[in-house]
Amino acid sequence: MSAALVERPPAVGPVLRGRVAARRAVIRWGWRLLRREWRQQLLILALVVVAVAATVVGATVATNSPAPAGAGFGTAQDRVDLPGGDPRLSTVVSNVEQRFGRADVIENETLPIPGSVDTFELRAQDPHGAFGGSMLSLVRGRYPSGAHQTALSSALASSFGAGVGSTVHEGGRNLTVTGIVEDPQSLLDKFALVAPGQVPAPTTVTVLFDAGGRSTAGLGAKVLPRSQAIPSNAFNPETISLAGLTIGMILIALVAVGGFTVLAQRRLRSLGMLASLGATDRQVGLVVRANGLAVGVVGSLVGAVAGILLWLAYRPRLESSSHHRIAPFALPWLVVALAVVLAVVAAYVAARRPARAVTRIPVVAALSGRPPAPRAVRRSAVPGIVVLVAAFLVLGWSGSQAGQGNGNSGAPQLVIGLVLLIPGVVLLSPFLLSAAARLGRSAPLTVRLALRDLARYRARAGSALSAISIGVLIAVIIAIVAAARYGNVLDYAGPNLASDQLVLHSDVQNGPPGTVAAPAQIASESHAATALGGALGARHVVELDSVDVGVDHSGGGRTFNGQIYAATPQLLAAFGIPASAVHADADILTSRPGFSGVSGLALEWCKVPMTAGKGTPGPGGGVVFDSTCPSSGRLAHPVVQELGALPTGVSAPNFVITEHAIRTLGLRTSPTDWLVETTSPITASQVRTAQQAAAAAGMSAESKNDAPSSAEVENWATVFGIALALAILAMSVGLIRSETARDLRTLTATGAGAFSRRALTAATAGALGFLGALLGTVAGYVGVVGWIRSNALEGGIAPLGHVPVPDLLFVLVGMPLVAVLAGFLLGGREPKAMAHQPIE
Amino acid sequence: MSVRHALLGLLSEGPKYGHQLRQEFEARTGDVWALNVGQVYTTLQRLERDGLVASDDEAAEGPQKAFRITEAGAEELAEWLRTPPDLTTPPRDELVIKVLVALAMPTVDVHEVIQAHRRYLVELMQQWTRLKEDEGEFDLPLALVVDAELGRLDSVIRWLDSADGRLKRAVVEPTAPTAAPAPRLRRRLAVRR
Amino acid sequence: MSFLELRHVTKVYGDGSSEVRALDDVSLGVDRGGLVAVMGPSGSGKSTLLTIAGSLEEPSGGEVVIDGHSLSEMSHNDKARLRRRTIGYVFQDFNLLPGLTAAENVSLPLELDGTGARRARTAALEALERLGLVERAGHFPDQLSGGERQRVAIARAVVGERRLLLADEPSGALDSANSEAVMRMILAACKTGVAAMVVTHDAQLAAWADRVVFLRDGTVVDQTVPPPSAEALISSGPKP
Repeated sequence: MSAALVERPPAVGPVLRGRVAARRAVIRWGWRLLRREWRQQLLILALVVVAVAATVVGATVATNSPAPAGAGFGTAQDRVDLPGGDPRLSTVVSNVEQRFGRADVIENETLPIPGSVDTFELRAQDPHGAFGGSMLSLVRGRYPSGAHQTALSSALASSFGAGVGSTVHEGGRNLTVTGIVEDPQSLLDKFALVAPGQVPAPTTVTVLFDAGGRSTAGLGAKVLPRSQAIPSNAFNPETISLAGLTIGMILIALVAVGGFTVLAQRRLRSLGMLASLGATDRQVGLVVRANGLAVGVVGSLVGAVAGILLWLAYRPRLESSSHHRIAPFALPWLVVALAVVLAVVAAYVAARRPARAVTRIPVVAALSGRPPAPRAVRRSAVPGIVVLVAAFLVLGWSGSQAGQGNGNSGAPQLVIGLVLLIPGVVLLSPFLLSAAARLGRSAPLTVRLALRDLARYRARAGSALSAISIGVLIAVIIAIVAAARYGNVLDYAGPNLASDQLVLHSDVQNGPPGTVAAPAQIASESHAATALGGALGARHVVELDSVDVGVDHSGGGRTFNGQIYAATPQLLAAFGIPASAVHADADILTSRPGFSGVSGLALEWCKVPMTAGKGTPGPGGGVVFDSTCPSSGRLAHPVVQELGALPTGVSAPNFVITEHAIRTLGLRTSPTDWLVETTSPITASQVRTAQQAAAAAGMSAESKNDAPSSAEVENWATVFGIALALAILAMSVGLIRSETARDLRTLTATGAGAFSRRALTAATAGALGFLGALLGTVAGYVGVVGWIRSNALEGGIAPLGHVPVPDLLFVLVGMPLVAVLAGFLLGGREPKAMAHQPIE
Repeated sequence: MSVRHALLGLLSEGPKYGHQLRQEFEARTGDVWALNVGQVYTTLQRLERDGLVASDDEAAEGPQKAFRITEAGAEELAEWLRTPPDLTTPPRDELVIKVLVALAMPTVDVHEVIQAHRRYLVELMQQWTRLKEDEGEFDLPLALVVDAELGRLDSVIRWLDSADGRLKRAVVEPTAPTAAPAPRLRRRLAVRR
Repeated sequence: MSFLELRHVTKVYGDGSSEVRALDDVSLGVDRGGLVAVMGPSGSGKSTLLTIAGSLEEPSGGEVVIDGHSLSEMSHNDKARLRRRTIGYVFQDFNLLPGLTAAENVSLPLELDGTGARRARTAALEALERLGLVERAGHFPDQLSGGERQRVAIARAVVGERRLLLADEPSGALDSANSEAVMRMILAACKTGVAAMVVTHDAQLAAWADRVVFLRDGTVVDQTVPPPSAEALISSGPKP
């Protein structure tokens, strides 16, 4: 008997080498297949490329858009700013040089540009200074060196109409322009550079140095360390782009599961052949996994390169719009590397399930190219529901933690809860598909066939449904939260003003609580407001009188938020409200919708006038009094009248106390703001004019800011979510229908026309679209209700009370409808490509 | 009949002696068909009588006598080559009759009879195939003969296979009593006789 | 002892009322250097017999012994190793992996077994040379004709030290000339000591075998006896 099975001694070395050789052979085949069949994988490849490229570009733009951290420091870690001619300067410089080695002194003199209100800086700085060197770069020519030389920033050069070699007059001196310079960290900086010591009367002097972390006490002036100058931001752009990438990769992985399943089915005979040649299960699975890995590697590398190229192309535009120079390769490399790694992991993970599935098929069945019919198991909804309930509870826990107001507490639970929603959706998808197939048993043939196919090919249809649902889930969560948040009439949120409105705030508001304006100040501010209104061509300027009253809400949750003004006849007239329209017993008039339904309201005010005490001088000639109140009054259940004619902006008078209430309760009012309403939207330059005029009068001007309205937030979220879901849907339906093309051919052969083909595709798309919308909406509600329910802080928000109906209709009806229509329009093609099976 | 035309074919190459004709016939049919001298001369005499061949030398009888083909003989040969064998009326096939007889006898298992014939035929085919295998690059005429034999045997096996299947199905799903079709079949067979 | 032995092999698909007996108590042996043909109509269980003999399927009852080792005592991975080292398959139509050249297809089982790429390639080229295909070594399957593809499959089935060749309708859709070439190659392999089993419904193919086993409804009903010499055939040949 020959020892065929024991002819190789099980030595460790050869076995390991052998395993590597076998692995190489299998991977080589996987790679060849990818090269031969890359078209079939184009979808997944494209997804990975786009996601990685978008992440690279997005993260790079996001990290490079803000002014560089520590602008004005150059490469220094510490700086001292002194007024020009300050006697401490020489002490500080000698102290710094003695204790920390080197110091870089920059002198600036602010001068008017002749014939303009603009100013520029005459700057004395050593271009090769120890720390300030990075704040200067030469565009053309050379740096100034002598007493009569200067280099201009390009903006200033054009203001002066000067170029290299020309002469400019400044302060009685003639300066020869030797070059054009710029501050790479701030391209808007208008300055004329001169050699050190050539600024006759500096306005400010900056000393840059590096204390190296040692104490800077006793230098003789206030030291600003670089770390304090950098704003610390909880959500830095890199975190946000990585979070986006992660969700994107989860979606890609879900879509890719379907893609790889299809590929594995197509290669079933090859894989069976491989097994018949003696490949182990591990090696057979490796083919599929190696394919996933290869798609991930190729996609992420191409994506990264494409992203970098896009960034290089976009960089000049970003430099000019963000006004600072950006190095070509100032990419967030950590994010780029993570994006590449995540993409590879996503593709690999997506290929693992089909890889496992394919090794479970008996070799004989695989060889015949006929996968065993999926077992008709009844998919249970229980695991999915259990996970969703867990997500609900975890989010509730997070909500209650956050409700206790301990800063960031509850954040980990929030993340876990949101992440749990995804497996919940993934687990429920197959159940929904088989449920739909059961429900559609008596539907017309094409619909029945489409639903049955979806249920039969659950592996790919299920992952597609999950991906669609997650796209919808994101949109729905944003829409619900926005609707609930904006729907809160107590803690009022939304755009501050309309585009034709402007509010001038009195200087009094800059003082501490208890500040009361002097009559002269009020008069001058009122005058300035009227003048500005005239300059802007305003329809009217309304004086807004603040009322010394607070709104108390005993119902728990959010407290009242907003300015309370008096409903003066002038104010009512400005909004076209006749006195007769105001109910005689109304205490409060408001434009906040549904406010009259809020219970547990009370008005509270101080009975003793503050001005009774002794005051101290405040800003603008005002007086600051003790704001504690010895005796307060309270009116429970004030009468609220809703008036739609009042403006709705957060900074506009949306909540006013009637004269009747002011009279009967003895409330005090004082003018604090002026509302300017123009006939046409206020332009950006008008806003600047208003700001300057307001500043001159000691006031501040507020115009419409960029805060979106609730409808805008909801609609954008909905549009984004639907677009994402539809994109995934299109890809998935393409994939599924190409797989069932054989059925389609049979249908065509049995006489089904283009209509049937269209109907089949439309039904597939519509079913996936509707189920995805349904699942996403349900999961979204589970998440939001879970979080808000036990969040005392957010208690005033009732997500079930403020349903974003139009947006949900868009998602639940509009999206499936679009899917059906698109499927119908695009699904009529003759299945000619499938006339013969591809050669294997 | 085919020996007649085979000899005519050989003579169409040129005049030949009787013993020469016998040798060439055997060589060209791959040594499969043995032919004795008597058979050759009887056939030649008949051909001569019909005017299809002519002998050159009247005097010399026996093996040294040379024959050549006449014009009528060449015409006959050309016509025979192009005339298809009569396949319209099936020949009486012993095997078919045996199976039909077996079918009629309730004590005999038809499948067993069929299998016995099948085994015999396959064994025959194995022998023919062995001939191909042994000869290696064996000569063309033999190859053609072997292929013809294998094809013939194969077709008989195919008939046995289909008969087997048909009988099996007939047992599983018995149709109308066989009394009606039998007379018709017999009548047709009778016509052929 | 025969190289391949099937002892009382039974295979049942499904259960209960849908039970199908594909094989019923089949015993069969193939010696080294022997070529056995299994003949039977479609549905007689002959393909199942082949897949069971080749460890691709497990019998419901009975035993398969290859080279003295019983398959029932082997693990899943042991069987895979057996297929890599000892068994070579030739299938009807789908035989080669697309994406791999002829030479790579042939060297694949060796490489799966851990042979270095260079040595595997040398062995593959040798096998192709023996079958007169060495100049097609770099071609992909879709660039080869049907006959060439089948020959590459045979090269792969005998590459290395394979000693059991299992073929399922190896001449599938080939014409008679190519069928004959395929059978000659299998026979040539047998001459080197390979045990071969061919299942077919084609008598012309089966006639190449030393022994023909007739399978019907999952049971062996008959087999040929060793043939007499070829000379006997000639003398008893058809009469003119």
